Amino acid sequence: MKQTTFIAFLLSISLISCGKKSDVVELQDWNFGGRPRLIEFLRERVYSFEKSHPGIKVVQSDKSWNMIREILYADFSAGAGPDVMNTHSNFAAEFGESGFYYPINKFPDFEQVKQWYVPQLLESTRYKDNYYGLPSSAIAFVLCCNKELFDKEGIAPPKTWSQFREAAKRLTKDTDGDGVTDQFGLVLMGGDKGGFAYRMIPLFFKAGVNVMSEDLKKIEFNSPMGVAALKLIVDMYQVDHSITPGFLAYTHSEVNDLFCSNKAAMSIEGPWFRGMVGDKSPGKDMYVVPVPVPDDMIDKYDTAPTLQDMVMYSINAHSKHPNEAWELLKHLRNEEADMFWITQDLGATATTKHALSSGEAQSVKDIQLYINELNHARPWPPHPSMIAIASNIFTPYCQKAIVGELSPKAALDQAAKEAQELIDPKK
Amino acid sequence: MKKATPYLLLVPALLFTVFILLYPLVQNLINSFSDVSMITGRSGWAGLRNYGHIFEDSLFWSSFRNTSVYAVVGTVLALVIGLGFALLLNLKLGKINTIMGCLYTIPWVISPVVAGFAWKWLLNDNFGVVNYWLAYLGVAKVGTTWLGNPGTALFCVMLARIWQFYPFAMVMFLAGLQSIPQEQYEAAAVDGATMIRRFFYITLPNLKTVSSVLLVLGVIWSFNDFNMVFVMTRGGPMNSSMVLPVLVREFSFVHFDLGKGSALSIVIFALLTTLSFLYLKTVSREETL
Repeated sequence: MKQTTFIAFLLSISLISCGKKSDVVELQDWNFGGRPRLIEFLRERVYSFEKSHPGIKVVQSDKSWNMIREILYADFSAGAGPDVMNTHSNFAAEFGESGFYYPINKFPDFEQVKQWYVPQLLESTRYKDNYYGLPSSAIAFVLCCNKELFDKEGIAPPKTWSQFREAAKRLTKDTDGDGVTDQFGLVLMGGDKGGFAYRMIPLFFKAGVNVMSEDLKKIEFNSPMGVAALKLIVDMYQVDHSITPGFLAYTHSEVNDLFCSNKAAMSIEGPWFRGMVGDKSPGKDMYVVPVPVPDDMIDKYDTAPTLQDMVMYSINAHSKHPNEAWELLKHLRNEEADMFWITQDLGATATTKHALSSGEAQSVKDIQLYINELNHARPWPPHPSMIAIASNIFTPYCQKAIVGELSPKAALDQAAKEAQELIDPKK
Repeated sequence: MKKATPYLLLVPALLFTVFILLYPLVQNLINSFSDVSMITGRSGWAGLRNYGHIFEDSLFWSSFRNTSVYAVVGTVLALVIGLGFALLLNLKLGKINTIMGCLYTIPWVISPVVAGFAWKWLLNDNFGVVNYWLAYLGVAKVGTTWLGNPGTALFCVMLARIWQFYPFAMVMFLAGLQSIPQEQYEAAAVDGATMIRRFFYITLPNLKTVSSVLLVLGVIWSFNDFNMVFVMTRGGPMNSSMVLPVLVREFSFVHFDLGKGSALSIVIFALLTTLSFLYLKTVSREETL
């Protein structure tokens, strides 16, 4: 009898604990990439969220930014994945179309939350009629100029393509007189297919080139100005030899090392570059300016669009707890949280009106330039095949032109043909 | 019960085989005949269409050529170097042999990913040690592009692969050399055979089986090598160093076309099965001898 009572007691206890456990909602939060300071900050934000929401437990995981697309696709297609995650804003089209992201405009207070953000940045999270994330940090691609080399040469950062080419030529030299060029005008990240497209397309955008037509039905990057933009880089590589010869194998680390060691004078990069350079060479300064425009567009130097990229926080469409996930999303991305992007150099720009207009923002280096560039910048067209086109078609063909396998026009025409086949409705 | 015991003992191994080997293989085979995308899921039977797309794709043929060169030329060169070092170690120089043997084996024990990164920096055009020494010797200048040049990228990755594989060949050859009966050399010496003649008429014929096994194994491993190429070039620039295992990843996880990726991995599987059959045949011939 005693034994039966004891077993019954144990069963009741376990049932009670099971009941208690089910009251707590567990959310999976995946964080892709980010500097250690940011990861630490996110931990603190989650901690404060759990304190203010005792019924919600958040399990955080850190993942590689480089594998973000593969990881999310694999998990989403298996019906798994986190409840909340930070991702590229240009995934909105691809993942939104596939039904992997939760349309956050369905939440009743979305209209109120929407007011926190700079409108054109929030627009980057929209695909068709839905918004698929809250902006986290924005990126405008700019030209970073090695201040030491520019000052030594006595030249100003270039504004037009002619000045760009001329500056790169003048800054390409044999500094130690051994007959070998050891300083180059320009270095670009060419060893990463996606990364290279992100560094080429600002030149296209600044020249008024569209990647796709407004209705997303026609590829347009092979327009005459697109060909001229590619020819500029081809000439700098083949004729002037002012781009580092091995750049087609470079990733972030090589670009950073060449810039820090004064072997490269310019690079098209984003707001993370100052921090990266500073980490490696403390005190090293740079001029951060807009990407140059064609000579006849000098009047649009400050207003021509560059490439805008953005990180957003999204909710998995298959999340069992979308309401709780939405609460977490707001906590991670509210105006208070966004101030951290102002007070710390995290390699990107804040996205809320409150943070960008705060007193603290005024003292952040280059922020006015980034705000101005972001005001005019454009993201990649919101087409589900855009990432594949940029990485697998646009980049290889541009590189074929750069090494002289194809003329710039032939390369872009062929790339456009292949990309068009990809976006045309399947027969 | 006694009758069932052996079968019960086999269950763990059978379960392992079914879930780790057979299930993925069968699933992959099914995928290769289906329209299956990670975006839209499986949308129907494709028959041989995925295979057709692969064989029509010029990238497949250039990758196949690259893989063949990478596997065959790389393995042959690794065997030649391995044999050279094995001959040196076979000179029986006492403690030096042990020390050199350990040193020569280091590349084999280094992870391919670590080795890939190390070679990437060694071959860096501006900071690389390779360019520094080549410039010092007057052979090339600092700034010579290796991995960023479509003409040399594959060769450079192959160089790293040779560096990793030769120690295994060396160890195998050394074992082979030590099993050659000394009487054969003594008889040849009595007949007045020179060192070169002894090498070609005694050493090499005795190493024929080891060489065949190494060649087949080396080609299989290199054919299947993903790490070194992915770390060093990701198949670039402009797909000039693209090999089949990296292309499977491209199809499956960049284009998200699992049907095409699966079909390509089945093609690789068929090629490697043929090579494995050759390997088993070589090994069984060795055992017969």
